[in-house]
Amino acid sequence: MIIDVHAHWGPWFFSMEVGSVATNLAVMDRYGIDLAVVSATEAVIYDVAAGNRALARVLESSDRLLGYLTINPRRLDDAERDLRELLPTGRFVGVKIHTDYTGSPPNSAQTRAALEMAAAHDLPALVHTWDTTPLDLAQAVADIPGVRAIAGHMGANGWRHAIEAANGVDRLWLEPCFSHTEAGRFAAVAAAVNPRRLLFGTDATLIDPAAAYGAVLAADLPPELAERVAWRNAAELFRLDLSSDTVPRVGG
Amino acid sequence: MNDNPFVAGDLPPVTLDIDVLVGRYVDRPGPTGEPAVVAETLAANGVERAAVASLRAALFDVRSGNEEVAALTGPGVLPVGGLDLRDPLGAEREVVRLAERGFRAVRLFPDEQRVEPDFPSVRSVARAATEAGLVILTGGDVRRFWRPLRGATVVFLDTHFYHLGDFVVVARDEPGFHTSTRLLNSPDALETVAARVGVERLLYGSRAPFYEPIVPRLRLARAALGPSGVEAVTGGNARRILGLAG
Repeated sequence: MIIDVHAHWGPWFFSMEVGSVATNLAVMDRYGIDLAVVSATEAVIYDVAAGNRALARVLESSDRLLGYLTINPRRLDDAERDLRELLPTGRFVGVKIHTDYTGSPPNSAQTRAALEMAAAHDLPALVHTWDTTPLDLAQAVADIPGVRAIAGHMGANGWRHAIEAANGVDRLWLEPCFSHTEAGRFAAVAAAVNPRRLLFGTDATLIDPAAAYGAVLAADLPPELAERVAWRNAAELFRLDLSSDTVPRVGG
Repeated sequence: MNDNPFVAGDLPPVTLDIDVLVGRYVDRPGPTGEPAVVAETLAANGVERAAVASLRAALFDVRSGNEEVAALTGPGVLPVGGLDLRDPLGAEREVVRLAERGFRAVRLFPDEQRVEPDFPSVRSVARAATEAGLVILTGGDVRRFWRPLRGATVVFLDTHFYHLGDFVVVARDEPGFHTSTRLLNSPDALETVAARVGVERLLYGSRAPFYEPIVPRLRLARAALGPSGVEAVTGGNARRILGLAG
């Protein structure tokens, strides 16, 4: 079992043809990924309300995709409405906050408000982090009671800051996706943080899972930790009921 | 049950890795790039032979750095001459010397040397290398470095999939343009290059010991290029442009 906690559905503006659900599933099959938590690229990049609703329709079509409801921290009224209208589908298991596309860094007032909203709904938040921003996210997590956050890309080239961030606060998880696969990056993080705080994320279908999967392979994790990274930690964080063959939903 | 869910039993062997370095970056943490350790890394990752350049040549002293890689010569090493674009006159001399020494390729380090593509040195060194019959391996942004390298046989080592479309449109007009697969790690980048300008333009490059060699191998293992296409990318194409047997 492998769960990808950082994936997308929808087209990108680069020279690539990866926008269909079929591509999501084919790319997952390349690497034996069973389940992916996806956000809509339209919601992340441009129109949050339209993207979230399009994703809600897509999620009805596949048992292997769960959803992040994207929050634009500059559109918190939209976020309240989207949460109210779309959470009852049972297919959204977290929120996505892209700090760059929305011009809302993790230490901004609006992103903190968005994280408070996620906490109020008891949903994990996948937050885009880069360079030193895992430290800012960690501070927000420390300041906001109950919030559970994933440092997306674990800071990318700032992964050393992600280690400090994850060790400085509870309720912060790390996932490794990054197109630049610096040698030893994931192994160093895995050796330095609580093994319950490590997740597997790919950024598919923007990035092929080879990048994150290869990084994890290169770390040569002991089986128990590999299993934690692959799915156990994600299942616990998202409270997924994986006990049957039915469509995964948020558990108790 | 505690079986490791992450497995890859289908990684292709690499018969010639086009992007390997020895030596260190003094401005960043990371491996020291000792040749013996680099060789161990390559062996552990199924790399049989590698085009190796020296960071000593790139960052400090061209001649002694290039002699460092020349001294590594063995069945697993194809020495690549580093050039310093901050010294175009010295680079022109070094191109001649390297060609006489039997080198088949030179490597440019514009990012490390903070050289822009419109600096005269890039064009002059590219011309000198081409006249000497040397393949050029280069870092830098393909969207900008294509211009001074027109007409040369080049492998762009830093082509990111974000810039894939720019590589393809310029490669249509430049039969000598090739790209490393290292950062072409989107779901369809390799297949797009193969379909648009031919699989012969793709070369496996790892950037060992600074990047994970397994990532581009894994991407190739799962690519829709067919066995002959993968063999070409993992070594055949490099041997062809470098004029090596096999």
